[in-house]
Amino acid sequence: MAVIFETGGIYRRLIGAHLRSQMQHKVSFVLRTLGTFAANFFDFAGIAVLFGRIPQLSGWSLPEVALLYGISSLCFATAELFGGALDNFDTVILQGTFDRVLLRPLDALFQVLTEEFALRRLGRMAQGGLVLGIALAQLPVSWTAGKVLFLAISLVSGTALFLGIFVLGAAYCFWIVQGKEATHVVTYGGDFMSNYPMDIYSHWLKRFATFVLPIGFVSYYPSLYLLERSDPFGLPDWFRLMGPVAAAAVCLAAWCAWRGGVSQYQSTGS
Amino acid sequence: MNGPPGPAGPVIRVQDLRKTFRVALHHRGALGAVRNLVERRFKEVRAVDGIGFAIQRGEMVGCLGPNGAGKSTTIKMLTGILTPSGGDVEVLGLSPQRKRKEVAARIGVVFGQRTQLWWDLPLIESLDLLRYVYRVPAERYRRNLDTFRALLDLDSFLNTPVRQLSLGQRMRGDLAASLLHDPEILYLDEPTIGLDVVAKHRMRDFLREINRERGVTVLLTTHDMADVEQLCSRLLIVDRGRLLYDGSLREIRDRLGTERTLVVDLTSGEGLDGSLNVPNAREVRADGPRRWLRFDRKDTTASDLIAAVASRYRLQDLTIEEPEIELIVRRIYEKGLDLTVPVKSAGATL
Repeated sequence: MAVIFETGGIYRRLIGAHLRSQMQHKVSFVLRTLGTFAANFFDFAGIAVLFGRIPQLSGWSLPEVALLYGISSLCFATAELFGGALDNFDTVILQGTFDRVLLRPLDALFQVLTEEFALRRLGRMAQGGLVLGIALAQLPVSWTAGKVLFLAISLVSGTALFLGIFVLGAAYCFWIVQGKEATHVVTYGGDFMSNYPMDIYSHWLKRFATFVLPIGFVSYYPSLYLLERSDPFGLPDWFRLMGPVAAAAVCLAAWCAWRGGVSQYQSTGS
Repeated sequence: MNGPPGPAGPVIRVQDLRKTFRVALHHRGALGAVRNLVERRFKEVRAVDGIGFAIQRGEMVGCLGPNGAGKSTTIKMLTGILTPSGGDVEVLGLSPQRKRKEVAARIGVVFGQRTQLWWDLPLIESLDLLRYVYRVPAERYRRNLDTFRALLDLDSFLNTPVRQLSLGQRMRGDLAASLLHDPEILYLDEPTIGLDVVAKHRMRDFLREINRERGVTVLLTTHDMADVEQLCSRLLIVDRGRLLYDGSLREIRDRLGTERTLVVDLTSGEGLDGSLNVPNAREVRADGPRRWLRFDRKDTTASDLIAAVASRYRLQDLTIEEPEIELIVRRIYEKGLDLTVPVKSAGATL
């Protein structure tokens, strides 16, 4: 317990240091926050406009899609809030600043996570939360204690799943330094995918998003449970509850990849 | 002495250490770019190729070698940044790779080229953060900070953001930062690179002080022979990933660094045509009234040579240049280094 408090204390101090550094460039910070908020606002507006033309998307109504979107958006933004530094990890490797991380008596991944606290992501979290709130108000879900608890767990495990994917992407940089674009296909692609019901995707993509990179467990399978919909793939009912298991598997794989990457880190020449 | 009194025996032990880097080879041209995607070829570069040595507690050791010799790579393996491709490393009885965090808590590292401080924050904030990162008790932190503020004269820029510091100030800040947690070993990679003469002196004085007063074992890499001369009783010479020499500075000097250069400034308007003619020395370079005379200490002493020059020409100023490390390393390659032959009496030196 003491260890957790101490670690939390160090995290707070290092994040504080980062935020004070960031405030040295105030204008850039304000502009980026506004930009993020605007981009996300138009993102969901696009989906809403789509539903003005068609009443349903593969059998999903607008509030139902809003539920998917709200959960995945909230999870992704929260993961970015804590794991924002992982997106810039290629420059950390290129500039050799990872050396400094390895010289300190703290866990390397922990230190990398303290190098960024993407406050501007609060804008997107608010937007995701808003969409989720509207969806929940409009949907005729019969709420039970179990469902409320499940929604809370799903938000946590969805966030963990995205964080795991971010770590995987960062670990990839140990081998291929200029791998950022490939990483974005998976991170932003995954976020995008989980905004829509998987019914609209091709068969192999659904399998991929279920068994290989289990993005489907962020919002799609939890929504199936909350809305009490039947699984179009005919998977058993207990399967849609496996979000935490999928998240744990991704995080475990990410941790192994990270460890492997650190052990073969090449530093920069000099 | 600070820190727990470690077990007897060396604090650093390295055996047959190796590091091989895989460097991607690229095909040239537009077609080559496509080929790079499908076919990746690698070249193996042996940065460190079988190095072994041991350093005892309290020693101050200098590691010399030309660029790309493998000095930095060796330090990076000793500090746990890089994983060796082969061989053994033990620091304070632990593997710096497997026990990275434990080792990190007991060593200090300063890289001359790269700061360990928070770039955008005032120096004092970096020091304060490191106190938590290294879990330094408040009382000990205060005591150490007071000591370093006095020794390194930090007060005038303690509240200045690191990015605004001069190189000399930043290095002093980095030194303080690396020692706040009372490390048992201090590694310095090119600590004096780019510093002016005053800053170099201050740096060397400080290193001597912490070695003597705090018993910190120091291992430094450098290009600068003077760093080693003024600080280190022991010298490691590394080139092309191999250890060429492990011993005292005096011995290598006597054996190989026998040629020095006397640089004289003549009073203008006198004997400036043609080269100087002095016994036991040859003019290797001339630039107006300034002349470079190379001499071997086996043939003459610096004071005799100066006397000889002064008796023939009117001198305005003079300096003596020591042999460059690159020159010494080249000589080791050309002539080999046979340590079984006893050193001949080298005669008086200046």
